Amino acid sequence: MGATISRLGERPNLWPWLLLAPLTAYLAIFFLVPLADVAVMSFTEPRLSLANYQKIVTGTLYQRVFLNTFLTAGLVTLVCLCVGYPLAYLMNNSKPRTAMLILLLVTMSFWTSFLVRTYAWMVLLGNNGPIVALLSALGLTNPPQLLFTRFSSTLAMVHILAPYMIMNIYSVMRKIDPVLIRSAESLGARGFSLFRHVYLPLTAPGIANGCVLVFVLCLGFYVTPVLLGSPREQMIAGLIGHQIEEFLAFGMGSAMAMVLLAITLAILAVYHRRFGLDKLWG
Amino acid sequence: MTRSRPGSPTLLAPDRRTFLKAGGAALASTLAMPYIARAQDNVLYVNTWGGPWEEAAKAHIFDPFTAETGIEIRTVSPVSFAKLAQQVQTGTYEFDVTTLGAGELIRAEQAGIIEELADAPYEGALFHNGVGSHAFATVIAHRTDKFPDGGPQNWAEFWDVERFPGPRSLQRYPARVLPLALLADGVAVEDLYPLDIDRAFASLDKIKEHVLVWWTAGAQSTQILRDGEIDLIGIWHGRYFEAEEAGAPVAMTWNQGEIERAYWVVAKGTPNAENAKKFIDFAVSAKPLAGFVTQADYGPLNPAANEFISAEDAERMPTSPKNYPHTFEQEIDNFGADIEEVAQRFEEWLAS
Amino acid sequence: MRLVGIAVVIFIAAPLVIVVPMSFSDARSLQFPPPGYWLGYYQAYFTDVSWLRPTWNSIIIAAATTVLTMALVVPACFALVRHRFKGKSIADLMMLMPLAVPHIVIAVGYYSFLGDLRLVHTHLGVVLAHTCLSVPIAFLVLSANLKGFDRNLERAAQSLGASPVQTFLHVTLPILRPGLVISALFAFIQSFDETVVAIFISGRDAETLPRKMFDSIRQEADPVIAVISTLLFVAVLLAVIAPFAWRGIRSRFARTALPAPSPAGR
Repeated sequence: MGATISRLGERPNLWPWLLLAPLTAYLAIFFLVPLADVAVMSFTEPRLSLANYQKIVTGTLYQRVFLNTFLTAGLVTLVCLCVGYPLAYLMNNSKPRTAMLILLLVTMSFWTSFLVRTYAWMVLLGNNGPIVALLSALGLTNPPQLLFTRFSSTLAMVHILAPYMIMNIYSVMRKIDPVLIRSAESLGARGFSLFRHVYLPLTAPGIANGCVLVFVLCLGFYVTPVLLGSPREQMIAGLIGHQIEEFLAFGMGSAMAMVLLAITLAILAVYHRRFGLDKLWG
Repeated sequence: MTRSRPGSPTLLAPDRRTFLKAGGAALASTLAMPYIARAQDNVLYVNTWGGPWEEAAKAHIFDPFTAETGIEIRTVSPVSFAKLAQQVQTGTYEFDVTTLGAGELIRAEQAGIIEELADAPYEGALFHNGVGSHAFATVIAHRTDKFPDGGPQNWAEFWDVERFPGPRSLQRYPARVLPLALLADGVAVEDLYPLDIDRAFASLDKIKEHVLVWWTAGAQSTQILRDGEIDLIGIWHGRYFEAEEAGAPVAMTWNQGEIERAYWVVAKGTPNAENAKKFIDFAVSAKPLAGFVTQADYGPLNPAANEFISAEDAERMPTSPKNYPHTFEQEIDNFGADIEEVAQRFEEWLAS
Repeated sequence: MRLVGIAVVIFIAAPLVIVVPMSFSDARSLQFPPPGYWLGYYQAYFTDVSWLRPTWNSIIIAAATTVLTMALVVPACFALVRHRFKGKSIADLMMLMPLAVPHIVIAVGYYSFLGDLRLVHTHLGVVLAHTCLSVPIAFLVLSANLKGFDRNLERAAQSLGASPVQTFLHVTLPILRPGLVISALFAFIQSFDETVVAIFISGRDAETLPRKMFDSIRQEADPVIAVISTLLFVAVLLAVIAPFAWRGIRSRFARTALPAPSPAGR
């Protein structure tokens, strides 16, 4: 056995390939082939043509849904940032015990199934839920409709994706040397200018990471918009699912899936060139 | 451990035994599962609407059928046309029997995804290879806590957002909703079919902003009415009664109720086709059908079932002499457009 | 910043906490605060086959996925971390690929691909699909562990006369064990939680818990969902708190300084 290792060691090219072969073969068969299947279907279903893509480019339905998906993803990313940054800051600048508790909470949220969290928002925002009750207790006789609107699905997606943002920013913040901040302060940087010229640039990599991750995850979000949103503000994944489940329109669904995939990969490719993809989830 | 097969990857060797043991056991049971389920050929899978529909069917059709034939019934819900089509294409069956409305029945027959049926269990039972079972109605219901002075009594009033403000709900199902939109726009019932599709969409435009939920499953319509997520709804009458019985402050009208017929069909190519036909014959025979429609408040399509239904129970059925005159029936054969195309147009309209 | 931070904490905590009282509610509907309390829906969950079967399916599928994932990922990880070779960067990217593809896209692919293989609606089909999705996560965790591995320990063992196998068994494996356990756990959770692909391919016979929950929320918002949510929440709570508690106990006895906990988020 030992002989095997050293013999292989003399031919350095073979050994890693042997170890890699099973996984490579597996992913090729059970990941790339299904993916290629989608690509093929987008051109061949129901017949060989570019018709599906033509429809995406010209059909108002598809344009609108793509646009809505982008707007929603952008909004969710922005809100996640506004929510995540202060929290990461709070964690980094409070007593270890408090920081630990918040970290625990964010971790809990991260690990709790997003179906559970989607359901929880349904309870919270429902007409018999605590928020409506609170609003009417405050004297609002005609509480606004919260559930099944853009508001409810956006809020739930922010909740589900915020931990990604928080973790990314926090891990960068933690690495900031406090000496740096103190010396900036001693040089007269205060308040906003300290934040703008020192803190923000130092945490930028975390912000970039968090934003790309949240945006990309949000683009392909299926479950939460379907359960909490309104069909008038569908997102692309929901429309793909509906086309296939209701109409068995595999060609149309596949073409939309390919466009979604292309957009996602384009964003990740840009990221990969600048930072390296393994950093994104690392 | 060191005596493992020569040439096997050294790095894996230490873990090999554990891997093999755990992996073998897990994979074996995994692989076996579907075939275990397949091996019991005395099982029939029925696609149901869930909720009170299934409870009624279980009590009056499924359980008596099992008692008589020894064939076990298992259920899958909700009813899905796409699933029916998909399972015929892939050859893996989730269910053997399902019920379809007339519109889907014609689509299914054209697509060749249902078995051909030759023998009618009762006279006039067969329609495009489906067996007529029962009638149901889409009716107008409202929350009485939101409208203490009474709710809308016809579709024109349902459309009237000035008089009846508040979030509404309709089914995400154009073949059923378009006729209602035309009635709301002032078309008389006699002139309804063939439908003026453009006019129907124009009418839908007027109410679109106020339709908060386009419901897709029967149970969902009950839940949003019962929990007050919406104030007004176009809902199947059976689902309405469920909300009423749960104690929700709700009311309905039979006026302009839209009646449709439900048909049993057999999924094309299912290995259980013989048992499926046996089941359908049983399901539409007088006594089981009478029990089922009485509990679920449907109208029986087999006239023989009427013998077993009391006058009092009949009052909750859309086909009773008291209710039927207020309602109208869908004319799918004279619909006026390709249902598939209308469905796609509806989806585009919905998202715009 | 502070006030915003506190508001955010409430925002994050509220949905996690609310499912617990909901699960004891005796209302049929989504009502909060609940009108009364009982254990009826717990009983309903633990006696209803239509909930227990998906739970069991999910456990079996996640376990098989974990085994298959680890069998594939462990050797690949050694290859990619410890060797330099042509095409390594492409291989690295390939490992991450399933993470970059939106689930809805690959779900469409599996629907058609596994349909052709007659594997749609089977446990095996879901396991094959889930393994692809678990690979990158297990890989990231394990390769991070392996990169931090001090190979001098192995060299020292070998210089003391240990064979490569002995070295692996007595040095490499024990040091790597936490990494292996965590990456297997991540693979398990990824499969157990996965919803979109399962919605499309798990069907009647292999129906997973998330698929059943999705259908139930979409159709009737069955109160049993609150029970399952609470159970899942408690499981996560225990899993997240356990290492903290364990460290706390150890440090109390050993009086050793604790390294700061690393964020568990990906």
